[in-house]
Amino acid sequence: MKLTEGAIEALANGNPINDVVLQLVNIRKIDGGSGPARFRAMMSDGRHSMTSFMLCTQLNFMAEENTLAPHCICVIKRHVTNILKDGRRVVIILEIDVVKSADQVGGKIGEPVPYTEGQKQSVQPLQSNPAPRAPLHPQNSNNEANKPFHRDMGKKPFSNMPSTPGGGSKVVPIASLNPYQSKWTIRARITNKSSIRTWSNSRGDGKLFSMEIVDESGEIRVTGFNQEVDKFFELIEVGKVYYLSKASLKIANKQYTSVKNDYEMTLNGESTVIPCDDSGDVPMVQCDFIPIGDLEMREKDSVVDVIGVCKNVEEVTRLTTKTNREVSKRTLDLMDMSGKVVTVTLWGEEAEKFDGSGQPIVAIKGAKLSDFGGRSLSASFSSTLMVNPDLPEAYKLRGWYDKEGHAMDGQSLTELRGGGGGGSTNWKTLSDVKTEHLGHGEKADYYTCIATIVYLRKENCLYQACPSQDCNKKVVDQQNGMFRCEKCDKEFPNFKYRLILSANIADHGDNQWVTCFQESAESILGQNAAYLGQLKDSNEAAFDEVFQQANFNTFIFRSRVKMETYNDESRIKATVMEVKPVDHKEYSNRLIMNIRKLANQ
Amino acid sequence: MANIIDVPKPRINSSMLSQHINRPVCFVGRVEKVHPTGKTFTVSDGEGKVATVELNDPLEEELSGAVEVIGMVSNKGVIMATTYNMLREDKGIPFDVQLYNEALKIIHDFPQHYPFEGAASG
Repeated sequence: MKLTEGAIEALANGNPINDVVLQLVNIRKIDGGSGPARFRAMMSDGRHSMTSFMLCTQLNFMAEENTLAPHCICVIKRHVTNILKDGRRVVIILEIDVVKSADQVGGKIGEPVPYTEGQKQSVQPLQSNPAPRAPLHPQNSNNEANKPFHRDMGKKPFSNMPSTPGGGSKVVPIASLNPYQSKWTIRARITNKSSIRTWSNSRGDGKLFSMEIVDESGEIRVTGFNQEVDKFFELIEVGKVYYLSKASLKIANKQYTSVKNDYEMTLNGESTVIPCDDSGDVPMVQCDFIPIGDLEMREKDSVVDVIGVCKNVEEVTRLTTKTNREVSKRTLDLMDMSGKVVTVTLWGEEAEKFDGSGQPIVAIKGAKLSDFGGRSLSASFSSTLMVNPDLPEAYKLRGWYDKEGHAMDGQSLTELRGGGGGGSTNWKTLSDVKTEHLGHGEKADYYTCIATIVYLRKENCLYQACPSQDCNKKVVDQQNGMFRCEKCDKEFPNFKYRLILSANIADHGDNQWVTCFQESAESILGQNAAYLGQLKDSNEAAFDEVFQQANFNTFIFRSRVKMETYNDESRIKATVMEVKPVDHKEYSNRLIMNIRKLANQ
Repeated sequence: MANIIDVPKPRINSSMLSQHINRPVCFVGRVEKVHPTGKTFTVSDGEGKVATVELNDPLEEELSGAVEVIGMVSNKGVIMATTYNMLREDKGIPFDVQLYNEALKIIHDFPQHYPFEGAASG
């Protein structure tokens, strides 16, 4: 592998050559304080070496994983050069391929000499501050450093104050932005703009707005406070492209955004936003669409981008939140080429304005994935909803849907019935109940399982209960044709039969003794208690037959399990709250989902 | 095929036809079109792809809905049926071919857990 001789000289002189083959002589980590570390590299072309190469933070992993190790040979595929105040150049590496690993090379190639760069003094780099402050001048930077930036390279630490050559500034990619340079210009499209939010606390009042912007290299979140709100909020329109320069950069607070960038930007007094006419190459939006079929494998609460055909949409409804606020809500079903359908919930104005007629292509960036009903999506206030977007994926979907997709029923990931009412069901196997020590705590545990009845105790499954409407207490047979209920303190000439059925249920892993009361027992036996009471007294063979028929049936059991103490003995007692027939479709879907999840771990 | 009943017949969909040429298979799908002669019909699988089935004797009944066909796959990817049966959908639960297809994918993705073939011909 031959190094590109002369490349170092070219790069040092601002020649924007790409795909140069260089050897990594040395790489050093620079502690970033509270932010991500930076890696500085010394590269050689066999003739010259240069230390002013910085790895963009997105590529930090290459240094951390030792892919970029001293002596390896690499090709710099994409870079941007910044010129420092003293005329020196810093090459920010945006994309690099290792063509020969360090151990394959073994040593330094040639006898490269350091390319003579300017011998200027180091200047303290700026640390970005979010609050608006007096306009900065480069000369003040020495005094401005709030966090002195320590370099351990020893010789020639360089500042990060690129001067803008000439009048117009060169446009740099969003991916190359970092807190150590403040004089840059980017050209980006606004993909999302929030409304103005105000706050008022003990320290005073303020307002802010935020937006997300995108260019060919990536995306970043931008916030403007107070004066910047007045300056820029009205001017900036979603979907348009602007030249943006000289804002402050700091480490991104990933809690509030799904934007893929280690940094986020704050507009300050020096920042400028100028509309750009030539928006040709700037993409509309940066999306990393996940096939709907893959949503099953994603963790709940993760933020995803999706695109699909709106198969059907519901009417908008209004509901009242816990804080007594009224909010509009609308659900729609999205289907994509995976054949899977997911239900998406829209809120507020977006829900009200949404028009799903004509089965449009709908894309959502930053939708929140929930496990409600299995898997479903929600558009939060930080999500971006696009209808019939101008994206290649949208055209592909349209073509597919018109040809084949429209005929498909699609398989929904969102089970709206049978999921167990207000939350996701807590599925367990019978062995889970033992291994997880369910019921051992102070409170009872509830779980749902699929199991088969393997034994029914027909002896003493019926008792004589008080005939009063709401009383189920066992009555005492007075032996004179009267039955006494202690709870009601009354005597009755009759009683009603009630069931307490002891059963053993089993699945592939374990079995369990459970108690079923009236309703669940009647479901299992397929007869009501009164009739069974009659049979027991009159036709024992028929009575036995009921139990024979009921045995070896499989149901979904919703059970309650708790530790009970009886005469110094503590035991786990399981009670069946509800018995339901097996919904095979739901069961199959769940099994398939679990199998796929297991396979991907 | 005399002993097709005794031999393992992997469940497949249309995309897998080409890998099972000259082998006995079990194909489940929805009846699309029946040829007027009654000797051949098309079925669509859970992915929407269509396969052709040929019978030895013409159909003697109306064929529609979900059907399970057992037969050999010819060189041209046509299923030469030995027997078929219509899957009942009159109990209110329609047969979900797409769910069936998902299960099919699982069986084929994890053959180590679904050793149906036994000592199948290589």
